[in-house]
Amino acid sequence: MILREQSPQDEPKTPPAPGKKWQRVTVAENGQEVEKWIEVDAASAEGWPERAKMRLLNQDITRVDGPAKVTGAAQYAHDMRAPRMVYARFLRCPKPAAKIEKISLEAAAKMPRVVTAVSLGVEETRFLGQPIAVVAAETPDAAEEALRAIEVAYGALPWVLTHEQAVAENAPIAVKRKLKEGEKPGNRVDERKSGDRDAVRAAIEAAPHKVEFTYTLPVQHHACLETHGVMVDFRGGGEAVVHASTQGTFTVHDDAAEKLGLPAAKVRANVQYMGGGFGSKFGLGVEGEWACELARRLGRPVHLLLTRADEFLFAGNRSGAVQKLAGAMAADGTLLALDAEVDKLGGVSRGSFPGQPYIYKVGQSSSAIRYVYTNTDGARAMRGPGHPQASFGIESLIDELAYLAGQDLLEVRKKNLEDKVYHRQLERVAREIGWYEHPHRAKPGAHTEELGVGIGFAISTWGGGGSPACQVDVRIQRDGSATVTCGTQDLGTGTRTYMATIVAELLGLPATAVEARIGSSEYGAANPSGGSTTVASLAPAVLEAALGARAKLYAALAPALKTKPEALSLDVEGLLDAASGKRMSWKQLCALLPSEGLSARGEWKQAHAGRGVHGAQAAKVEVDTLTGRVRVLKMVGIHDCGIPMNRLTLKSQINGGMIQALSYALLEERVLEPALGAALNADFEGYKIAGTLEMPELVPLVDDDDTRQVVMGMSEAAIIPGHSAIANAVHNACGLRVRDLPITPDKVLMGLEKLRTQS
Amino acid sequence: MKTFELHLPKTLDEALALLEAPAATPLAGGQDLLTELKEHLVAPDALVDLRGFQGADKIELAADGALSIGAGVTVAALEHHAELARRWPILAEAAASIASPQIRTQATVGGNLCQRPRCWYYRNEALVCLKKGGTECFSYGGHNKYNAILGGGPSYIVHPSDLAPALVALDAEVEIASKKAARRRVKLASFFTLPAEGDVLRENVLVPGELVTAVHVPAHAGNWKSTYLKFKERSSFDWALSAVAIAARMDGGKIAEVRVVLGGVAPRPWRASGAERVLTGRAVDDAVAREAGDAALAGAEPLSGNAYKIPLTKGLIVKALRRIGGRA
Ligand SMILES: Cc1cc2nc3c(=O)[nH]c(=O)nc-3n(C[C@H](O)[C@H](O)[C@H](O)COP(=O)(O)OP(=O)(O)OC[C@H]3O[C@@H](n4cnc5c(N)ncnc54)[C@H](O)[C@@H]3O)c2cc1C
Repeated sequence: MILREQSPQDEPKTPPAPGKKWQRVTVAENGQEVEKWIEVDAASAEGWPERAKMRLLNQDITRVDGPAKVTGAAQYAHDMRAPRMVYARFLRCPKPAAKIEKISLEAAAKMPRVVTAVSLGVEETRFLGQPIAVVAAETPDAAEEALRAIEVAYGALPWVLTHEQAVAENAPIAVKRKLKEGEKPGNRVDERKSGDRDAVRAAIEAAPHKVEFTYTLPVQHHACLETHGVMVDFRGGGEAVVHASTQGTFTVHDDAAEKLGLPAAKVRANVQYMGGGFGSKFGLGVEGEWACELARRLGRPVHLLLTRADEFLFAGNRSGAVQKLAGAMAADGTLLALDAEVDKLGGVSRGSFPGQPYIYKVGQSSSAIRYVYTNTDGARAMRGPGHPQASFGIESLIDELAYLAGQDLLEVRKKNLEDKVYHRQLERVAREIGWYEHPHRAKPGAHTEELGVGIGFAISTWGGGGSPACQVDVRIQRDGSATVTCGTQDLGTGTRTYMATIVAELLGLPATAVEARIGSSEYGAANPSGGSTTVASLAPAVLEAALGARAKLYAALAPALKTKPEALSLDVEGLLDAASGKRMSWKQLCALLPSEGLSARGEWKQAHAGRGVHGAQAAKVEVDTLTGRVRVLKMVGIHDCGIPMNRLTLKSQINGGMIQALSYALLEERVLEPALGAALNADFEGYKIAGTLEMPELVPLVDDDDTRQVVMGMSEAAIIPGHSAIANAVHNACGLRVRDLPITPDKVLMGLEKLRTQS
Repeated sequence: MKTFELHLPKTLDEALALLEAPAATPLAGGQDLLTELKEHLVAPDALVDLRGFQGADKIELAADGALSIGAGVTVAALEHHAELARRWPILAEAAASIASPQIRTQATVGGNLCQRPRCWYYRNEALVCLKKGGTECFSYGGHNKYNAILGGGPSYIVHPSDLAPALVALDAEVEIASKKAARRRVKLASFFTLPAEGDVLRENVLVPGELVTAVHVPAHAGNWKSTYLKFKERSSFDWALSAVAIAARMDGGKIAEVRVVLGGVAPRPWRASGAERVLTGRAVDDAVAREAGDAALAGAEPLSGNAYKIPLTKGLIVKALRRIGGRA
């Protein structure tokens, strides 16, 4: 289904240790999911409570940190201040590539309120906007002004910015690399190939319905509300705190310690709140490294958070893609063959692409996946890396073929999907969007109508599994207070909330009675949040800690109550002793605890987590053929994920995915100027993101037909299909297929003009 | 940004005196000027803050439709003036289409008319384009999706103001004051200049030392209908890809007199006289509207990436005329 490189399919040959079994798990490495085999306990005694008995889990619970966020009480890395703190700013190279022949910092360093100006020591830059020097000053303005006083002599280097430039004959080489034997130099590099291309091409040739088109996706930005960066609180002593905007509390402090010249044990990472990462915020980064370096040199706290322009130019992006797809369909709608040639555009890195055919079953297929280097910053993982790109290619192609074959767009999907989960999910979104009453189910609407309404579908897949790492502590005190603690981070997804909720569910408490503490590297370990692995990695450990604490509680109380631990149970009314029928309130029973209270640690257990997320989304749009306006009227999404830890935040994830996809479909695009070597929209004016008026009716559906009693992460699945559904809906509305995103009015209008002259 | 002196005059006369200094720049709501400063597109030695006296500026609307708007009136005030919205919906609609509610509470009418272009080549400090004293308009051979299809050359900016086309459609005049000369009034239509006509570095006839103090709309006898229809790539807040401003005197079901002005397609508000000729004396249905659209865009010369503005503007003309005719 999905191509995962180096993922061992078979269980290891060596037998597992006694009492253990082999389990395939997903781990996030740099935001990508990687699968590994590990040993886990063969049997697990207790698991998640029965769904029917859940009070808090699988309910709508508002975020416990919502009030702090909306009142501004929540402190992000950006908000952190310390006495004698300096502000640092980077100088960016204005060229896509250049030799740094000379860099003079004296004038900058002498400016008022400037503390230091330092060269990063780059000899040759490789991408537009690469940082080459850094200034620290008493105020941000002074730092910014000082950047302008740095004199740099740039030596010319050739470069390429766009796909077209990169693949041109004799194009300058963007990234130097070792060539394989017989390989010609160039920016386009073969990554992987599959299938027998000649046979596939022959099958396409012979098929009744065939198409060949190129589908293009732009480079998208993560556009995190909080830019990347840290505030390093180092005051020249023997310890430091790194306040980081990161997706991994434990991904910053080792490197920070090294840069600061301190033992790792003396450096604490603090990540209470972070303003969005979407896959782009792992590790210390160039910004964190230089903040630590400056802090060490100055013996002062350093605030280095990127400017918005920095963010657009060197904080990562979703790789673009140019996909040439040739496909064929039988008269009955069966997908017969697919040949894919895919260029990934990841700047100086490779970008992501899972492979084609994506999810759907195709008779025979071949593919060549390549990456194309340009002198732009490297792509990073971005919510569902590569999947939205692959989705757009295949979902567009299916609709184009289905129209040729006169097939119902919903039925044709089901026909080419083996997994029945997709069938029910597609039917569910189809009902909700009004498909069965829709007039254009196998033929698009007419471009001659002023207003056309269309519907489109697309599906997604994701792993969402967890892996070991988390160490969670639950503590109950004599006054009845309960805490759940782990060093993990909350990306805004509601991590704090479900930590508290799980513990409260098991102890019979209201969700607000349990305090969740996170975001410190001094707490128990946790994995970074990438690949939607957080919930499936963390929640099982929270459950284990809660089960452990509850067991200890029963064991501690049983003697005092002259009963057996097995006879005790906790619910909203407190403790019940089944033997005597006696009850005791939470306060009363906690008062019986020793003065230190009790605590239990939980670690990950495979049995509590699952993997294998699906999803289907439908979009309904209106196309105004007079103005080219595409208005999304409604989007419906459904994604299975085992037990919903919190239905409210689950629906938020689906909504957020659909919103980001809408924005990708209609607006977002990095615009570069290939003739001048410049970026034209490295700001929120030119880089347009959907706003309130673009919002359609959003219908996030919880898949209650998924009864798996495990937890898994579905967040990335929610961003994969939406833009494809919208593009399909545009075609369905008016017969116009826009094959390169975003679908802006200019493309719609020019496309319609062409349809008019053709007919 | 470069350090500058900030003057806070309490009267217009004081301000005009301060503006005599070379490189002294008027500051109104600051919604454009502050960005220009921060992005190093301008580096004045002194700013003369007009808000010390502009707070008294008012909207005065007479029964015959005559209207005076002080330069310091905010865009939000125009948007929310109930009587004005009834008499000249074109102005309330234009105002409401501008930027975001927050920006509208600060942005002034004078500043809106005098704001600088948004072309992304112009706004990129590193690119020294024609508008910044360079030798080339980079949009010509570049990413010109947002640039001019009418009246362009040698610069292809589009004028960013939404109030401008609406006010030109109302035949407005601007009142201009300076220390040296007597107050003068200029038709707003000739206040704005084309790059080929005047100084390519400017968009209007103002010279240093001059201030816009008010905008005046003459009396309009008869049954006038007006509308402003702006098309944004992103509805939530954006500049016009194209906009149509229409004011028409109706005689029964027919248009007796009309002004059609286009925004977002030319370096200044673009009077579509051809369309006006088509419409005058006609009862307007979609067919007539399409005829007017063809006439309005007859002289369009699109660049490599903005030919779509032709069908777009034609489409907007059809829709705007439906509003004028009470058909939408
Ligand atoms: C994000 C954003 C989106 C926007 N979108 C739109 C839009 O869609 N449509 C639109 O029309 N506008 C839009 N604007 C522009 C906004 O309306 C203008 O910035 C604003 O009207 C300028 O008014 P101001 O009072 O803030 O002027 P300032 O920024 O203070 O001044 C702007 C310029 O005019 C000069 N000036 C100011 N007052 C006078 C005067 N009385 N006489 C002579 N010169 C003067 C200043 O010296 C300066 O050069 C947008 C602005 C922003 C920031």
